[in-house]
Amino acid sequence: MSIPAVSITNVSKRFRLYRERNQTLKSAIMRGRTSIHEDFWALQDVSFDVPAGSTFGVIGRNGSGKSTLLKCLAKVYFPDAGSITTNGRLAALLEVGTGFHPELSGRENVYLNGSILGMQRKEIDAKFDAIVDFANIERFIDQPVKTYSSGMYVRLGFSIAIHVNPDILIVDEVLAVGDASFQAKCLEKFGALKAEGKTVILVSHALTMVEEMCERAAWLDRGRLVHVGEAATTIERYRQSEATDDSDVQESG
Amino acid sequence: MRGLKELLESRDLLVNLTLRDIRGKYRRTVLGQLWSLANPLAAMLIYTFVFSFILRLQPDRGDPSGLDVFALWLLCGLLPWAFLSNVINQGIASIVGNASLIQKVYFPRIVLPLAAVGAAGFNWLFEMAVLLIALSIVGAFVLPWIPVLLLVMILLAVFATGIALVLATANVYFRDTEYFVTILLQIWMYLTPIIYPVSLMRTASADLGGLFGTSVTVLDIYQLNPMVHFVDVFRQLLYDNRWPDPTDLLVCLVWSVASIAIGLAVFSRNQKKLAELL
Ligand SMILES: Nc1ncnc2c1ncn2[C@@H]1O[C@H](COP(=O)(O)OP(=O)(O)OP(=O)(O)O)[C@@H](O)[C@H]1O
Ligand SMILES: [Mg+2]
Repeated sequence: MSIPAVSITNVSKRFRLYRERNQTLKSAIMRGRTSIHEDFWALQDVSFDVPAGSTFGVIGRNGSGKSTLLKCLAKVYFPDAGSITTNGRLAALLEVGTGFHPELSGRENVYLNGSILGMQRKEIDAKFDAIVDFANIERFIDQPVKTYSSGMYVRLGFSIAIHVNPDILIVDEVLAVGDASFQAKCLEKFGALKAEGKTVILVSHALTMVEEMCERAAWLDRGRLVHVGEAATTIERYRQSEATDDSDVQESG
Repeated sequence: MRGLKELLESRDLLVNLTLRDIRGKYRRTVLGQLWSLANPLAAMLIYTFVFSFILRLQPDRGDPSGLDVFALWLLCGLLPWAFLSNVINQGIASIVGNASLIQKVYFPRIVLPLAAVGAAGFNWLFEMAVLLIALSIVGAFVLPWIPVLLLVMILLAVFATGIALVLATANVYFRDTEYFVTILLQIWMYLTPIIYPVSLMRTASADLGGLFGTSVTVLDIYQLNPMVHFVDVFRQLLYDNRWPDPTDLLVCLVWSVASIAIGLAVFSRNQKKLAELL
């Protein structure tokens, strides 16, 4: 518990909102510049630690910056200010089945996706059966994945990601597509990961699930951290504010 | 240097992405990999018909091989060119085409254009193997030249990769790049002695003499095109069966190094920003 699994210090992330995005040369030359934009801070000065071996929830409204934060953790985006340190191997499940090639079979895609997530071939060989088993799609593993149902996609993708055996697993709302039995299986798997001392960070709008699973949670609103602490307390405060303030999704800017 | 270590760690990914490109491409076709021969073969038939049969273009006999087959002479230049143009086209598309991947997972971005090079290289190897067999059948003695040939092929691949890296980056900012390049490649091809011999260019330039009263000839400018030298080297090895001209080799080497250095610099400077720019 001493060294945090993830430590986020003063992270800010800026996006440019283009009023006119000149992605063609013609418009760039005609205006003599590439774009007219204004800055939009999707994250502002966010700091918190995620203790190792805990399950951590991130909650907040649509557009509050949760996915942006996870992408910064996953090194897909780079923060414009602040720093993020992670201890251990990290696997992110930002969208299941990215990198699946529709024409290739499930088997070929396991290898492709596994290597995208950072596994070596030998490692995949060793875990192949477990991956297919967890996803429960043995019969279809040699079919092209374009024939899979969306639930099967998620199962296979999720199964690959957890078999990367990460120290830190980041999950962004991807479980919603799976059926009840698969969701139960995933929750069980999260429990097992926790027992092994792994850290799970998850974004979800299913507050009861977050409450059940997570010890701690962070609440983001318009890119700012509102509260971080015990999951129950954070969720309670979030619920209260939602009840009192029913305004729409934030305006940009 | 950290980038290099990362790249080494993701070589499995590189292999798998290359395989994805290779396997995915001809999936569910009857002819499969043979399709990769279709394009060069069709081009060969057309050019041979037009330039050899109608226009009576006659390149010099292979020296010392003594070969005199227009179609094969053509292919010795056409196949390397087709490779270059494939690498550039597929390399450009590799970043924009894999946007969803880049926005969802972290991995060294450079593996995407490199996988495109790998897939194009695989096709090229296949085509060159067929060409070597054809050359051997008509009596060229190519076997001893294979090691040098492989070396020059690697040089061309490096040269092409550098260009692809720059253009792939540019294409993220301006999607025009892709269309622009299609046209540029056509012009570039005709500025390279692929379907006509350099000797014709030499005569034409000599007839004209120095430009604007200087001693600079059209040929001098023409030879600034690196592909002139690459094609020359490939023909000397494959068609003539002799040591390539050392100046040509040196020029190829210099261009390759320059191209990859610029390509890597441009790409690595932009790779962190790719996810949000897409
Ligand atoms: N690439 C981008 N360019 C410009 N703006 C972006 C980009 N990505 C995200 N944003 C903006 O950043 C804000 C936060 O987005 P984010 O996806 O992090 O929200 P979220 O909390 O995950 O919402 P949700 O609950 O709907 O998933 C949004 O206003 C969004 O418009
Ligand atoms: Mg989100």
